[in-house]
This record gives sequence, C-alpha cells and structure tokens, in this order.
Amino acid sequence: MAQTLGQAGVGSDSGDKWEVQVRKGSLELAILAVLWPGRLYGLEILRRLADSSALIVPEGTVYPLLNRLKTEGLLTSEWVEADAGHPRKYYKLTSSGRRRAMQMAAFWSAFSANLEGLLAPLMPETKPNAAARTAGRRNADD
Amino acid sequence: MTETQRTETRGTDVDLARAKIKKYLQDLAAALGSLPKEQSNDIVEELRSHIVEKSAANFNVNDDMNGTMTPASVDAVLAGLGAPESLARLYVADDLQIRALKSRSPVLIIRTLFRWASLSFAGFSALVASIIGYSLSLSLIICGLLRPIHPRTAGLFRIPDGANDYSVSLRLGFTGLPPGSHDLLGLWIIPIGVMAGLGLFLLTSLFALWSIRRLRRATPALSRRDEGDAEVSR
Repeated sequence: MAQTLGQAGVGSDSGDKWEVQVRKGSLELAILAVLWPGRLYGLEILRRLADSSALIVPEGTVYPLLNRLKTEGLLTSEWVEADAGHPRKYYKLTSSGRRRAMQMAAFWSAFSANLEGLLAPLMPETKPNAAARTAGRRNADD
Repeated sequence: MTETQRTETRGTDVDLARAKIKKYLQDLAAALGSLPKEQSNDIVEELRSHIVEKSAANFNVNDDMNGTMTPASVDAVLAGLGAPESLARLYVADDLQIRALKSRSPVLIIRTLFRWASLSFAGFSALVASIIGYSLSLSLIICGLLRPIHPRTAGLFRIPDGANDYSVSLRLGFTGLPPGSHDLLGLWIIPIGVMAGLGLFLLTSLFALWSIRRLRRATPALSRRDEGDAEVSR
C-alpha cells in the first residue's frame, strides 16, 4: 500500500489530488503510530516514517501537522536539552491521542481489507486466481 | 550561537550556513506574525533544531567533515521544508481553523475566512456570504433595539422610489424618512427584528463553520504545492 502511495506521485491531475489526499489522511495515522512506543522529536519522527514506510514524507507538512495534533490535544510536547548542544522538542501521545490512534488503526485495517476485495480484479498479476474472471470481462470492455 | 563561536567561525562556510538559517527563521517568524508570540517562538525554535541537526547530519553522510553544516547542506534542508511563507501558511491556516471551530466567535470566523478568501473562490464566496449574513443580522437586532429610542424613524419601511415604484428599507432611525414612507411592521419590529436577527446570526455562524470544515478538507490544493516544493529536493 505504501509503495503504491509513494510511486503515484506523477499522474493525471485528479489522480494526483486523490493521491495527495490519501497520503495526507494516512500521514496523521502514521505519525500517531510512530509515537505509539514512546516519545520522539521531529527529526526522529521523520526518519522513522521514511524508514518504516515507503510514504514520501514532505517535511514541510509534518511539522505543521504535529502542531495541529498538539492543538487538538492528541499530543503533548516538551523541550529537552540534548547532548547535541541544541534542545529538541519531543512529542508524546496523550490518552486521547492513544484512543484516537486505536480507532484510526481499527478503521484503517477494516477499510483496507474491504477495499482489497474490490481491488483484486484490478490487479490480475498479483492475484491471478481471484481476479481472472472479472479481469477478463474488464479487458473486453476496454 | 554564542559570541565566541561566532568570532571563531567568522568568514567561514559555517558562518554563511548560520546566516542562511537565521534569514530563513526570521522570514518564518515574520510570516507567523498573526500567531501568539509564545507559539510562534516555539515553532521557530523547533525548526531551528531541525535545520541545525539535519544539515549537520546531511553533510556527515556525504563527507568526512564530521557533522559540520555547510551552506549547501543547509540549503538542502531548507528546500525540504519549503518556502518560509508557505510553511507558515500551513501553521496559520490550521491554527485559525481550529480556534474558529472551537470558539465560534464571529471575529475569528471572519478572520479565518479572510485567509481562505485569498486562496480559493469558495473561500471568497463564503467570506462575502458570512459578512452579509452577520451585518444583516446585527442590523435587524439593532433596529429592533433602537425602535423605542427612534419611535418614528426606526423600523422596516416601504419608501417611495420614483413615481410608481417603492423599495423596502430597514432603518435605524438616525436620519429622517422621505414623505410617503409606510411603516410595515410597527412595534412588531422589536420582537421580530431581535428574533430574526439572532436566528440569522446563528444560521450565518453554522454556515461559516460548515464552510471552514469543507475548506479544511480541501486543503490539499494548498499543501500540494508545498509538498511539490519539498519533493523536488528529495
């Protein structure tokens, strides 16, 4: 899923817009998920997002998003004096942030499981058996 | 950055790199001007931390000069963040929306819509409609309240306009009426004006908040451009 999101950067205008919306919507969940184990500062969050998912993470949108999640009460932040010589701003999930993350994760997995069934015919090469019949009909239509 | 550090590195690349960071953060702070001072300082410091750490790390990967920032490494990090103005716009738009949605104050609502008005036609239309709605509702309420003070001139009047034509006009009663004017509501303007005004006020707020939520969902049109900037540098 993340792969496709990352790749679809170039496309038709409407496809591009849709892609951005999906990415934007999933970024919020991805940030909450990355913070699930414990507190992290901005650059760490960015690195984890880049490492553990193929999501393209535009830095210019992550910081304002962190700020918004904080204003919405899903995150708290604290400044920590680091060895590096400059302080770092750490983010942590609040209890309502944890609840929200769990709700979003449950919704996302149910949603994508449902959608996968619909998408199977569109991807004959990955799921040939399940998709063969419908794919044939689709090709004929084209 | 302390004074001693600054003198040691004067005229070097590090100095130039620091100047670039300083310029970027100054522009960002200026563009964040409408936020509370404390909040905008916090944002600027967080991004300073990001830029300093990442530009040193970036350089470290490509070269042996252990984690020193250079003008080029700083440029790369700044490009990743996008222009200070567009970055600030994301903060300010988010912040105003949340505050407007939370507080429901007409002033914040109008301020939020003002911001959107410059970004999209839908935002502009919502702003115009909300201003008309709020001013009409306030006029109705004020008219109802002024009726006891201006018993002859405040109210809803039918006013002759040319030979066979007339227009309907809501008057606050500070000026006289042309001859032949007809008071349409009489004393009823007091309860009707106040009630209709309050109702319209509420409806306008509901409409404006609904517009803000819709505009918020449509944000990708705005952030896409910023993301585009950011992706170029990757």
